[in-house]
Amino acid sequence: MLLQQQKETRGRERTMEAKPEEKAEFEEAEIEYVSYGGEHHLPLIMNLVDQELSEPYSIFTYRYFVYLWPQLSFLQAFHKGKCVGTVVCKMGEHRNTFRGYIAMLVVIKPYRGRGIATELVTRSIRMMMESGCEEVTLEAEVTNKGALALYGRLGFIRAKRLFHYYLNGVDAFRLKLLFPPPRQVL
Amino acid sequence: MSALEIMDPKMDSGIVCTYYSIDEAIENGAAPIPISLDSTIDVRCTIDIMDHLLACEAAWHKGHSLAQTVFSCIYLLRLDRTAPHALLHSYCRIIRATCKAVVSVVSDARTHEEEDLFTMTYGLPLNGDGDDKCLSILNAVEETISRQLRACKATSSKRRLPEDLEPLQSNPNLEEGFCKALLCRLRFRKHFFHVLSCMKRPQGRGLESARKHIASCLTELESILKSADFLRSCFDESCEGDIDDKTTASGFEPIGFDAMLNSRLSAPTPPRAIKILSWKKAVEYFVKLLHDLDVICSYSLDPRLESLLRFVVQFQKSQPDLVARSHLQLLLVQDGKLYGRDPFFAVINKAAALPEATKNHDIQKNESFLQLGMLVMNLLKILCTNAAWQRRKLGKFLQDWRVIYVQLELAFRNEYGEVSSSSNDENTCMKIFQHILLWVEEQTYWIAFRFLILGFELELYSTGEYCMVYWYLYAVLIKLTEKTHLMMAVSHDTAKRKGKKKKDSPKDLARESRIPPAVLFLQCYICLAEGLTMMLAALRNEIPVFHSPSPFNTEHEKFVQHFELLQRACIPDHVSYPSYKESTTHARFSTLAMYNYFKDAQRIAKEVKSSFSNDPERLAELRKLEQGIFYPI
Repeated sequence: MLLQQQKETRGRERTMEAKPEEKAEFEEAEIEYVSYGGEHHLPLIMNLVDQELSEPYSIFTYRYFVYLWPQLSFLQAFHKGKCVGTVVCKMGEHRNTFRGYIAMLVVIKPYRGRGIATELVTRSIRMMMESGCEEVTLEAEVTNKGALALYGRLGFIRAKRLFHYYLNGVDAFRLKLLFPPPRQVL
Repeated sequence: MSALEIMDPKMDSGIVCTYYSIDEAIENGAAPIPISLDSTIDVRCTIDIMDHLLACEAAWHKGHSLAQTVFSCIYLLRLDRTAPHALLHSYCRIIRATCKAVVSVVSDARTHEEEDLFTMTYGLPLNGDGDDKCLSILNAVEETISRQLRACKATSSKRRLPEDLEPLQSNPNLEEGFCKALLCRLRFRKHFFHVLSCMKRPQGRGLESARKHIASCLTELESILKSADFLRSCFDESCEGDIDDKTTASGFEPIGFDAMLNSRLSAPTPPRAIKILSWKKAVEYFVKLLHDLDVICSYSLDPRLESLLRFVVQFQKSQPDLVARSHLQLLLVQDGKLYGRDPFFAVINKAAALPEATKNHDIQKNESFLQLGMLVMNLLKILCTNAAWQRRKLGKFLQDWRVIYVQLELAFRNEYGEVSSSSNDENTCMKIFQHILLWVEEQTYWIAFRFLILGFELELYSTGEYCMVYWYLYAVLIKLTEKTHLMMAVSHDTAKRKGKKKKDSPKDLARESRIPPAVLFLQCYICLAEGLTMMLAALRNEIPVFHSPSPFNTEHEKFVQHFELLQRACIPDHVSYPSYKESTTHARFSTLAMYNYFKDAQRIAKEVKSSFSNDPERLAELRKLEQGIFYPI
C-alpha cells in the first residue's frame, strides 16, 4: 500500500522542458534573485508552478516547504517586478546522509535558455553546501533533455533509472550530486 | 506530498463523475441489456465493448490499476446481469477468468518491482462462481456464430439452409462481416486463455501446446485487425476524431464504461485520470506479448546454467513487459528448483564442472552451500525483472556474492588449510570447494559486468563518463576472463580424467594449448574496452572542450558514485580513482599502440567466428565487434 501511495504522490517534482517560443528581451543583469519574503510570494510561486508543470501541488505541499525550510525552499527570479522563475528545495537526514532535494524548478517560456534556471539551481545548491549537505538529489524525466543537460553541467550523475515512474509511463532518472569531502582545516 | 485539494480537478478525481454508484449508473441506463433493440447495433456495440476491454487490458498490463481499466466496465462489475445476452456474458466471463489467471502469475512471481498497482484487486469482483466453465460457455457461443456464418454463406450461394437458425443480426448484408468479426475475437480469447493454462503447467510440460495456441492467437489478432475496415464502413455515420486514437475498431465510443465508479471502492488514494491505450496499440501490445511468450515456450530448458543466463539476457533485449517476464520467472524457478526439476546444488555442481557423481553429495546440506543455492535462485529472479530494477538489485547483490565467497573460503580453510589450485588431492569435498570457489568468483565478475553494461542500456552514463566506465569494464573483464579461463582449464582436467586413459596425441595436446573460444571472445571485449578507454582519455587530455569541470565537484566524486557498489564489494581488488587517473593521464592520439587495441579486437573476432557457427547470437555480436561496435554480452 505504501509503495502505491508513494508512486501516486512522489515524483511529482519536475523540471519544465524548454520549448522554443516567443522570447523576452532582457539583460542577465536585470534579473533579480530573491529569497522567499513572505505570504505575498506564495501565490506567485503557486501560479508559476501550476502554469508550467503538469503535476498538481496542493497548498499543503507549498506550506510544507516554506514552514520547514523558509530560507532555502523558494528562490525566485524577478524581471522588472515580475516573477519569471522559481526553484523549490528542501534538505534533511536521509539514511545517515544529510541531503538536499530539489523539488520543483520553473522558468516561464519567454525567459528560458538564458541561464536563469542554472542560476536558480546553482544558488540553491550553494546554500545546501554551506548548510552542510553531503549530496543533492532530484528526479527528472528521461526525456527532459534540457534538465538533464543543466544538471549534468553542474556535476550531477544519473544514479538510477526509475521504471515507469510517472503516471504516463515515462521513466525517471534519479540525479545525484556528491559534494567533495570538506577540506580539513589545519 | 500526499495532500490533495478537494474540488481541484487535477487532484480530486471524485469531482468529475457522472454517477455515484454502480447501481445508479445502471438505473440511468449506462449499461443497458440488451445494448440496443436493433440487433445490428447491438452486435456492433458488443464488438465495441470487446475492443475497449482489450484496450483496457493492455493498459492494465502496461502498469495501470485493474480498477481503472478492465473493471471500469459496468457489465463486468455486475456480470450476472449479462446472463440474457449470451455473447456479452461469455466474453465477460472469460475476461474475468483471464485477468484472475494473469494476476495469479504476476503475484506468484513476486517481482517486487514498481508494478505494485498491477496485482491490486481489493473490492473488485474477480472471483466468479462458474468461471471454471468459462471456456465451455464461450465454445457454445462460438459454435452458434459459426453456424450463423455457415448459414449466411449458404444463403448467399443460394443453397438450402441446413437448419432453421436465427441470424446473428437483422441486416443480411452485414451478417458475414459481423460473424467473422465476432468469431476472431472469441477465438482469440479462447486461445489466449489456453496459453495461460498451458504455461502454468509444472516443469514446462505445457510449453509445446502453448506454442500452438500462441500461433492461433496471432492468426486471430490478424483477423481482428482486418475486421476494422468492415466495422468502420458498415454504418453511414462516421466517428469524430482521429481513428488511430480510438479504443475500438469501429471508432465508436463503447457503451457501459465508467472509470470513476471504482475510485472510491478500490484505490487507497483518489486515482488520477489515466489514458487507455488505443485499440491499435492494444493489438500491437498483445502481438508483442505473444511473441515474447513464444520465445519462452520455445526454450529448451537447458540444464546448463551458463546457457540459461545467456538465454535470459538475450530475451531481455526485446524489453518484454511484466506479464511475459513473470511467466519466464515462474518457468525458471518453481518449488525451489530450476524448472521445478533440478535442485540448485546439482545445477551449481554442473556449472562448476564437477563430476556428475558429486551432485548429491552431503556437502550440499552445509549452510554456505544452501545459501549459495538461494543466491543462484535469486539471481535468476532478478534477471527476470525490468532493466532499471534489475541493475539496482544486481549492484546490491554483489555484496552477497562476495560474502558467500568469503564464507566458503573460510569453511574450506578451516577444513583443509590453504587453498591451492594445483592440488592433486583426490578428496571429493576438497574438490567441490575448489571448483565452487572458482565458479563463485567467475559468477561474481559476470554479475559485475552485467551491472556495468546495463548502465549503457539504461542511459545512466553521460558521454563525459564513458572513459571511466570503459576503464572499469576493462578491469572487470580482465578478472572475468581470468576466472573463465581457469574454470575451463579445470573443466577440461575433469573431462580428461573421465575419458580414456591413453596417451595424448599431438593433435590433442595442440587443442589443449589453444585458448578456448569463449575466452577469446572475452579477450576481444578487453581489447575494445581498453581501446575505447584510451581513445576517450586522449580526447579529454588533448581537447579542452571535452573536459569541462563542474562548479561543485570533480571527476573523483562521479567515479565514487558510479562504482560505489563495486568498490564496496572489492570488485575488482586494487581498483580506485587514483589507479584510473594513472592509467589514463598520459593517453595521447600520437600513441600508436592505442590503435592496435581495435586491430586486435577485429583480428580475434574474425578468428573466433568459426567456433560459434552454431550460435547465431554470438555470431551476430562478433559481426558487430568486427565493425568496431562495443555491444554488450
